[in-house]
Amino acid sequence: MAEALDRPTGALTEETADTATTVRPPRRLDIVGRRNWFFGFSMLIILPGIFFMVTRGFLLGIDFAGGTEFDLQFGAAETQAEVESALAQIGVNGTVQAGANGTFIIRTGYADPAHQKALMDSLGQRLGTSVNSQSVTTVGGTVAGETVVRAFVAILAASVLILAYLTFRFRRVQGGWRSGVQFGGSALLALLHDVAVLGGIFSILGKGLGLRVGEIDTLFMTAVLTVVGFSVHDTIVVFDRIRENMIVARSLTFEQVANLSIMQTAARSIITSFTVVLVLVALLIAGGDSLKGFVLALLIGIVSGTYSSVFNATPLLVVWRRLAGATR
Amino acid sequence: MVLLAFSIFVDGAGYWYRIINHYPITGSVADMPPHFGDWQLYIHKGLDIQGGTHLELRLKDLPGGRTPSDVQAEEIAIIDRRINSLGVNEPLVAPLGNDRIVVELAGVPASKAQEVLGRTGKLVTTSWVADPNSKFNGPEGISTGFKPQITPLTGDMITGASAQLDANGVSWVVQLTFDSRGTDQFGKLTTAAVNACPGAGTDCPNRHIAEWLDLTQADIDHWDDPGYAAQVSLPIDQGGKLVTNPTIIDPILTGTAQISGNFTQATAKDLATLLNAGALPASIEILTSTDVSASLGADSIKKSFAAGLLGLAVVVLFMIAYYRLPGFLASVALIFYAGVVLALFKVIPVTLTLAGMAAFILSVGMAVDANVLIFERFKEEMRAGRTIGAAVDAAVRRAWPAIRDSNISTLLTSTILYVVSTSGPVKGFAFTLAIGVAISLISSIIVTHNLLAIVLVSGWARRQGALGVSRG
Repeated sequence: MAEALDRPTGALTEETADTATTVRPPRRLDIVGRRNWFFGFSMLIILPGIFFMVTRGFLLGIDFAGGTEFDLQFGAAETQAEVESALAQIGVNGTVQAGANGTFIIRTGYADPAHQKALMDSLGQRLGTSVNSQSVTTVGGTVAGETVVRAFVAILAASVLILAYLTFRFRRVQGGWRSGVQFGGSALLALLHDVAVLGGIFSILGKGLGLRVGEIDTLFMTAVLTVVGFSVHDTIVVFDRIRENMIVARSLTFEQVANLSIMQTAARSIITSFTVVLVLVALLIAGGDSLKGFVLALLIGIVSGTYSSVFNATPLLVVWRRLAGATR
Repeated sequence: MVLLAFSIFVDGAGYWYRIINHYPITGSVADMPPHFGDWQLYIHKGLDIQGGTHLELRLKDLPGGRTPSDVQAEEIAIIDRRINSLGVNEPLVAPLGNDRIVVELAGVPASKAQEVLGRTGKLVTTSWVADPNSKFNGPEGISTGFKPQITPLTGDMITGASAQLDANGVSWVVQLTFDSRGTDQFGKLTTAAVNACPGAGTDCPNRHIAEWLDLTQADIDHWDDPGYAAQVSLPIDQGGKLVTNPTIIDPILTGTAQISGNFTQATAKDLATLLNAGALPASIEILTSTDVSASLGADSIKKSFAAGLLGLAVVVLFMIAYYRLPGFLASVALIFYAGVVLALFKVIPVTLTLAGMAAFILSVGMAVDANVLIFERFKEEMRAGRTIGAAVDAAVRRAWPAIRDSNISTLLTSTILYVVSTSGPVKGFAFTLAIGVAISLISSIIVTHNLLAIVLVSGWARRQGALGVSRG
């Protein structure tokens, strides 16, 4: 058994020269040639999203907006109007929204735990029923501001680091560091595409349709960063193949190399994303309510990330290299 | 192999023990193997799962002449002592920056936490002095025309406080012991009080000494406002600051004092604990608080667990359906992967939050990625006419750069998340994802590769159909 274990690892270090494997093009589908169709499709989704983001903004989660959010369950069935009027009667300025499983989400200004308890007690008295708090969250204004800044710093840092890393990784491609920047930059554009898709859809969900699932909070930013990592992940696999094919298939133009590489890696990209989509759908269906928005963001981002890796990143690279006047 | 043995050691014994003894599947269980003395392995549950309060506090009114981090350290030590009296399982009191403190208390509602932490806990002793402007007739024994005056006897001259029954064994009192300076001061104060209107059985406002909790000079400056004075003079359990305001019968020179009042055993103990723990050097402001009920947490974890199992099952089914034998091997590697990650969670230990759980489930989906890269490459190599053994090796070797680079991008983003974020769930998510990605690299490269090699070398699986190549 030990022998069997050692064998492949040993073989790994042996340089068995093999170059003939990847040239044979499988089924041809001209993705790079039809790139304008794919760019157009992306725009179709991004432009309304950007329009919404600019004109309407986002529905902010409590950790970004600041204030206090109560998730309350009442002993007796109450309507939203009843809860609203009870809240007004006890002199609290706040909003009421029906949550999942008969709970109510109440948002007020900042209240420390002692005041939270007082509010829940008087609300219960006013409604004449028991009040069970599922969760109460308070975020002071200064912290909310810091959180927003941190979120943007994180996304900016991630973008810069990824660009730097890709530039470094692809610096040996024909054309040197300039090529590195082209590879890194295309991946970054594909990544911004995914962030725009995600932001746009959540702006529409939250502000356009008024759904709580479209709330932007710390977890949403976490989802964005995860999607960023994942999107680049797919793009790197294609780009790595391009790098390899540029050496192996010297007779092909860059456009042909790019298309061949997409064809060779598309199955893998789609299958990998498919397995991730499978687990995310499982989480969305069977998982708890508190993570619904987070999981949805991951789901949208990963589908978009895969699409952009296959249909946008490489065509962008082709366009960029052509504009830059690279021969291949 | 080492990893496998490690995870079986960490996971296996524990779950076997849990199942045999019908203990819950998660959380701390006494005497569970493997354990060495106090060192125990189990999954630590985050507050969003087991319910409890998370607070982020900011220190304000820092005393001059000390560095903020020095004050912060003392503050943390005192909060620690106060929390100990609550009997919370694995409380967390941690510094954040140099002017903030994070407190996590399982199973304690936020309002109770604030009550315990929010008090500065400074015992202030006052005598009563004449003030013609005072309109407040009270507290008991004091009439209008008097206000408190802070004395040099301070809380830090107390060396011990304990709750005990009084000499008659009827009501609860708090027994105080002073150090030498305190004994001296207390002796002077009580002597002066008795001398104000001497004689057994006589009483006058000047013969009272009051003990307050957190009374400030500002409170005294507002004494002319009767409403304000009345509010401050309420007992501490009614939102006021007055602890006791007895008539001094004889000068007390022994350095001990008894605080009596309407104490129950619990309130007497609370006060003793507060005084023993010491006063906070700086007062605190609650920046954020999160209070999650245990029932919501229990519901969430059940659902996440079900979702995780469902996700794992679907991925395994898909892999086997699409890749046949290699897919089955990848599934074995995947289950091995899940085991190792769980074991690592226990050893490090990682506190499992809902977001962390999502990261773990997500990483199960992503862990397949390296396998898929290898298998797709394997199909290509087979089509290019290689023998099975050579194709396996070439596939692993040529897929490696892509696997490495793509996982580095996820590691990069999760590291940034971990470093930049201060939020517990986000840190948990990032850390879990990073562990997941790192282990999935090992599991797919080493485990899948070796499993492929072992099974394929054995020969019975060399039919093309089983390898899923013919369809490729």
